[in-house]
Amino acid sequence: MTTPIVAFRGVGKRFQGVVALSDVTFELQPGECHAICGENGAGKSTLMKILSGVITEHEGEILVRGQPVSFRGTRDAESAGIAIIHQELNLVEQLPAAANIFLGRERRTRLGLLDDAAMELEAGSLLAGLDCQIDPRVPAGSLRVGDQQLLEIAKALSLQSDVLIMDEPTSALTEAEVARLYRVIAQLRERGVTILYISHKMDEVFRLADRITVLRDGRQVRTVPRSATTPKEITGWMVGREIAGQQFHQARPRGRRLLEVRGLTLPWPGHPRGYRLKDIDLELHAGEVLGVAGLMGAGRTELLEVIFGAAGLDWTGEIRLEDEPVRFAHPGEACAARVAMVTEDRKRLGLFPELDVAGNVSIASLGRASAGGLVWRAREEALVAPMIRETGVKAAGPQASIMGLSGGNQQKCILGRWLLTEPRLLLLDDPTRGIDVGAKAELYTLIDGLCRRGMGVILTSSELPELLTLADRIIVLAEGRLTAEFARDEATEAAIMEAAMAC
Amino acid sequence: MNPPRPADRGWRLPRHELALLAAVVLVFVGTGWLDPNHTYFAKWVESRDIILRNTSLLGILALGAAVVIIAGGIDLSAGSMVAFSATTCGLLLTVFADAGDKRLETVGTAGVAMAIGGAMLSGLLVGTLHTWLITAIRLPPFVATLATLVGLRSFARAMCLFVTKERWGSENQQINIGTPFFVWLKENNVWISTATFLVLAILTWLILSRTVLGRHIYALGGNEQAARLSGIRTENVKWFAYCFGSLTAALAGIFLMADSSVAQPGTMARGYELNAIAAAVVGGCSLQGGVGTVTGTVLGSLFLRVVIDSVSKLIKASADVYEGMIVGIIVALAVTLTQFGGLAKTGHALFAGARGLAAIPTIAIFAGLLAMMAAANIDAFRGRTGLLGAAVGLGSLLLLAAVRRLQDRRP
Repeated sequence: MTTPIVAFRGVGKRFQGVVALSDVTFELQPGECHAICGENGAGKSTLMKILSGVITEHEGEILVRGQPVSFRGTRDAESAGIAIIHQELNLVEQLPAAANIFLGRERRTRLGLLDDAAMELEAGSLLAGLDCQIDPRVPAGSLRVGDQQLLEIAKALSLQSDVLIMDEPTSALTEAEVARLYRVIAQLRERGVTILYISHKMDEVFRLADRITVLRDGRQVRTVPRSATTPKEITGWMVGREIAGQQFHQARPRGRRLLEVRGLTLPWPGHPRGYRLKDIDLELHAGEVLGVAGLMGAGRTELLEVIFGAAGLDWTGEIRLEDEPVRFAHPGEACAARVAMVTEDRKRLGLFPELDVAGNVSIASLGRASAGGLVWRAREEALVAPMIRETGVKAAGPQASIMGLSGGNQQKCILGRWLLTEPRLLLLDDPTRGIDVGAKAELYTLIDGLCRRGMGVILTSSELPELLTLADRIIVLAEGRLTAEFARDEATEAAIMEAAMAC
Repeated sequence: MNPPRPADRGWRLPRHELALLAAVVLVFVGTGWLDPNHTYFAKWVESRDIILRNTSLLGILALGAAVVIIAGGIDLSAGSMVAFSATTCGLLLTVFADAGDKRLETVGTAGVAMAIGGAMLSGLLVGTLHTWLITAIRLPPFVATLATLVGLRSFARAMCLFVTKERWGSENQQINIGTPFFVWLKENNVWISTATFLVLAILTWLILSRTVLGRHIYALGGNEQAARLSGIRTENVKWFAYCFGSLTAALAGIFLMADSSVAQPGTMARGYELNAIAAAVVGGCSLQGGVGTVTGTVLGSLFLRVVIDSVSKLIKASADVYEGMIVGIIVALAVTLTQFGGLAKTGHALFAGARGLAAIPTIAIFAGLLAMMAAANIDAFRGRTGLLGAAVGLGSLLLLAAVRRLQDRRP
C-alpha cells in the first residue's frame, strides 16, 4: 500500500468538557474519494475543521504524506495542500470572481499594483477547466449558488490543493447543478485530487465514494469500502438503534379542527420563481402532529413563519385558527392568540446568551412573573421551575448560564419557554437539528405527551425518520408548492423523497 | 459544563463594580496624599462639590447612553441634544419674558415650567425621530445618530438666530439666562443635580432590572431576532431606549444651561456624547449589547470624573486639555482589564511579528512625550523635562521589548 496522503491517529476534540469528537483513526489514500457520513452533531464538521486548520488544538495526531503536522491556522493547511469548500460559502460577494480566487494572494505587476488582467486570465482558464461559463469580472454575489461553489473549487485548485474537503456540497444545488458537480468531481479525480466528501445523502455517497467512514455522537462507528456495504447498513450505523422502531403516533385521539390554511401564497419579489410559497392548503386537528417534509429551500420555514406572523403581511390566502380568520402582523399577535414557534436556528433565532436559564425560559411570559408592574425573581423562578422539570432540562439551576448547556438542553429550554405561554398550536421548525440522540428521544416523548393533552403540532424536519416517527400525516413541499400529502401508513422515505424532488 | 454561578442577589456588588469602587477610593486618597497642597483633604467640601457636580452631569448622560447600548444600539447625538435642549429652554424663556427683557429676569413660574417642559419634549421628539430613522428607514443606529449629532447643533443655532430676531429684532448667537429660578438652580446646583442623578439612577435601575420592559431591553440587545420571535415588540422597546437616551440629554441640557447661565448652541457640550459612552463602557456595558448595569454605569462615571479631577490637581494644568487623553486611556485600560483573564489564559502574544515590533516604539514615543508634557507642570522637574521624557520613553521601550522576548520564549 502507498503512503496515505492524510492519516488521522486518535483525533479527538472537547469543547468545555463536552466530547465533540473522540479517537478517530483512519487514512486517506492518494486519489480516493472518501465519504464521511453522520447525522448532524455527529462530529463531521469538527473533524473537517481540525483537518483544515480552523480548530488548532485537538487530541491525537494528523499525518500528511507520512509527516506529522500541527496546523496553526487555515494557511498552514492550505500550504500543505488541503483546501475546504464550506457548506456556507466563504466569498466576498462585492468582489469580482477573479478577485475572490486570488484573495490574499493577489497577483501584482512589476510596479506593485494589482494585476487584474493576469488574475482574470488565470481565473478564466481555471473556471473553463471546470466546465462552466463564469465571467471572472462579475461580482461573486451575483452568481448562482452552484457557480459560487465552483468558484470556491477553482480557488482551491489555484492553491495547488491535492486534498479537497467538500462539506455537504449539494445541499443548496439544483439537480442540473448537482450533475455538473459530479462531472467536476470525476474530473478532479482524474487529476489525482483526493476528495473527502461529507454528506448524509446515501445516493451521493454510494455514487461517488470509494470508502465510507461513519461517525455517530463524535465516535467513529467504522470505515468500510463502498462495495462491502449497503445504504441501509450505513443509515443504521448513522442513526444507531435508539430511535428506530419507536412509534409515537399510534392511538392519539384527534380533536376539533385547529388550523385551516387555504391558498396560501407568499411572493418572492426579484426572484425568477416569483414566490416562496404557492397555493398551500392544509389542515391540522388538535392532538395531531403534521409533518412538513422538503429539501432545503422548499419553503418549510417560510410556511411556519407566515402562520406565526414572522413573515410580515405580504402573503395572500386564508388562515383560520379554530374557524377564526387570523392575519398576524407580528409574532406578538400570534403569542396572544396562543400560537408558539420554536425556531430553526437556536443560536441565531432562539437563545439570549446574556440571560440565564430562567430568563431564557420566562421571556415570552414575563407577565406571569410580575406583580405591580415589577418582575419578581422569586415568582419568575417559581414559574420556570416546574417547566424545567417537565422538559427535563439538565442544568445546575435557574441561574445557570444558558450557553453552558448542551444543544439538547438549550432546545428543551426554548420549548419550555413556549409551553409556558400555554399554546394551542405549536410550530416546531427542525427542532432536533444538531442535538444528540438521547435528547432527541426525550423531545419526541415530550411532543407526543403534548399532543395527547390536545395541542396541535406542525413539525418540520430535515430528517425523514423523525417525521415518520412522530407525524400522523406528512405534507411534502418542493420549491414552494405542496406536492404530496401522506397519511402515516402510506408514507415511506422513498415516496416522500420522490415528492420532494418533483418540480 | 460550567460550574453553577452563584446567585447575584441582594446588594452584593459583582466583581467589576467592586473593582471600580476600589479604584475610585484609591485614586481619591492617593491624589489627596500626593498633591503638594493636599487639596482633597484641606478643601474637602469644594473638591467634593466639584466632583459631584461634574459626575452628575456626566452620569445623567451616561445612564441614557447605557440604556441605548444595552438595547444593542448607540446614541452619538447626546452632546448636540444637550445643546438643542438648552437652546429650546432658553428660547422658550425669551418668549415668556417681557418684550425688552434680554436678561430674561421677568419670566414667571409658569413660563419656567413651560420652558423646562418644552426642553424635555424636545428630547422626546428627537428620540422618536431616531427610532423612526432606525426602524422604518432602517438606518444603522450609528448613522442615524451621527446625522442628528451633526444636524441638531446646527438646527439649534438656526433656531436661536430666528427666534432672537423675531423677538428682539437682532440675531443673537447665544441667550444669557438671568431668570431667578435658574440663578437659584445654579447656586444650589450641586445638591439638586446630584439628587436628580441619584433618583434617575434608581429609576433606571428599577426599569432595567425589575420590569418587563427592562428584561426586554436586555433581550433585544442580546439577540434582536430571537426577541422579535419571542413576541417582543422590538420597535417599541427601541422607541423607549432612544427616547430615554434623548430625554436624559435634555435633562442634562437644562442643568448645563443653568450652571453656565447661558444657552450657547454653537459650543456647549461638544463631545459630551463620547464621554457618556466611555463612562458606560468603563462601567461594564458591552457595545455588542445585552450587557451592562446601572451600578456599573454610575461608578464608571464617578471613576472617570475622579481621575480627570485628580490629574488636574496633580499636574496643575487645565483639566480640559488632558480630559480626552485620560478618558481614552481609561476606556482602553478598563476594557483590556475585563478581557485580561481571557488574554492571559490563551497566552495571546501582545507584540507578535512586525506589527508588534512597530507597536513597541509607538507606545514608547507616546509615553515619553506624555511624561515630558506632564513634567512641565510639576515644579520638581522644572528644567529637566526633556531628560525625564527621554528616560520614560527609553524605559517603556525596554520594558515592552522585555515583554515581547518573554512571550516569544513561552511555548
